[in-house]
Amino acid sequence: MPKVTYIEHDGRSQVFDVPLGENVMRGALYNGVEGIVGECGGGLSCATCHCYVDEAWTGRVGGPSSQAEEELLESAAAEVKPNSRLSCQIEMTEALDGLVVHLPETQY
Amino acid sequence: MAIDAAHPVPPNLPRRVGMDQVPDHVPPELIRTAGITFGPDFLKAPHDFMAAMHEDYPPLFYDVSPFGNMWTAIKHEDALFVLRHPDIFSNEGATPFPRDPDDYFYFIPIEIDPPHHRKYRNIVDPTFSPKGVLKLEGLIRQRAKDLLDEFADKGECEFTTEFGRPLPVSVFLDIMGLPQDMRDTFVSWAVDLLHSNDREIMGRSMRSITEYLKQAIAEKKAHPDDGVVSLIANSAPDGVPLSDKEIFGFVCFLFIGGLDTVFATLNNVWLYLAEHPEKVREIIARPDDIDKVVEELLRRWSVTFSGRVLAQDYEMRGVKMKAGDRITCLLPACNFDPEVFPNPKEVDFDRPRKTILAFTVGVHSCMGAHLARLEVKIALQEWLKRVPQFALKPGAHIEYRPGGVVGPEHLPLVW
Repeated sequence: MPKVTYIEHDGRSQVFDVPLGENVMRGALYNGVEGIVGECGGGLSCATCHCYVDEAWTGRVGGPSSQAEEELLESAAAEVKPNSRLSCQIEMTEALDGLVVHLPETQY
Repeated sequence: MAIDAAHPVPPNLPRRVGMDQVPDHVPPELIRTAGITFGPDFLKAPHDFMAAMHEDYPPLFYDVSPFGNMWTAIKHEDALFVLRHPDIFSNEGATPFPRDPDDYFYFIPIEIDPPHHRKYRNIVDPTFSPKGVLKLEGLIRQRAKDLLDEFADKGECEFTTEFGRPLPVSVFLDIMGLPQDMRDTFVSWAVDLLHSNDREIMGRSMRSITEYLKQAIAEKKAHPDDGVVSLIANSAPDGVPLSDKEIFGFVCFLFIGGLDTVFATLNNVWLYLAEHPEKVREIIARPDDIDKVVEELLRRWSVTFSGRVLAQDYEMRGVKMKAGDRITCLLPACNFDPEVFPNPKEVDFDRPRKTILAFTVGVHSCMGAHLARLEVKIALQEWLKRVPQFALKPGAHIEYRPGGVVGPEHLPLVW
């Protein structure tokens, strides 16, 4: 099963298996990662699963996958950077095995 | 005040009713009697009333009502804060729904705050996730088509009874793994329970629902299938099977939370569309924008409210609230906050995407939100294929009745 490394804002790092086809937000929720809230459950309506894709992975992950994601990111609570994504919109594939995401200080 | 979901006890929280029971810490200038859900001005046009509150009411005020006194928040920003801080604004004891004190149960997961909340959500989230509900798309579409076949050629229908209510109930039965021949019975139980305003009828309906669901749960324990009743009845988070009280509270909550809200949403939206043919034409002309259409309609026609109990003293907007006070976020009003949604009563499918409050936010955010969105979307698509032009029946009288879910009681349409 592909692995994702979640690095909290304070530097704590946790690695979890995230099933193929699941998204990075759900992987965090199932495993109690604190830095992801994901309150709308992946409906592209809340911007509380904001993450920064590690620089080494931005090429493979790519930018926002829809206009809605792009617009919602603007209302994210923490600073929005070029590598910002909503983690509910990053679906796990074999190619993303080993993905590293950094979590912002706050989601609200 | 962490509660033990397997051993439920009725909450011992003060319930204050009427002007005689306004606590001393409430500043007199913030006291109002808005008549939310029952006053004649509210019932005349509930959404117009709630939109106008941004001009006529303080952003946070103390509403005194025969149904219970409570702080009432109408600003989008305040609702986000309240709903996102369960440590301050608790859900435990905040659900007004009456239950038998001798056979008490919690509505799960809505009455369970973190840290235990997620244990229950993880059981059903895969089913109700955006991807999970997509598996139901074909089935929902077929249910919508079957209903339309009954009346599309007749040139008229009573929307609420022929489409708005049976569609969500059919879909609910499919998801739960319950038989379709229960559809009309479930509709009448839900209507009796939530719309009769008669305690005797409500009690009778609750007893019928309880008896039926308990028997269904027992059957699914003996013969598991892939429906949600079976999923809950046979789940064992962290290796511990759910207790009977937890299973019943969970299944019962899905019934109460999942039916009336979708009825009301469809009924509101179809009333609006019947009176705005130009919006119907726009929806038909922009098939690829259906998701935006649904989101904006859900913002404009939100149907319910979200209550909490203060777990500690807390000051917001300079108002000092006390532990034990109740507060409600008036979600439709929050969705009309002009600071967030300029020209808020206008239906504009091209608004920038912002957090709408139709489904609340925070840990207790509606788990049926994606299903509701999908049902509204499919209902629109299938209906407009068969009935692309329609209007309110001439002489129709639109009536709203008091209750926690806002929508027209009857909706006769012609085409």
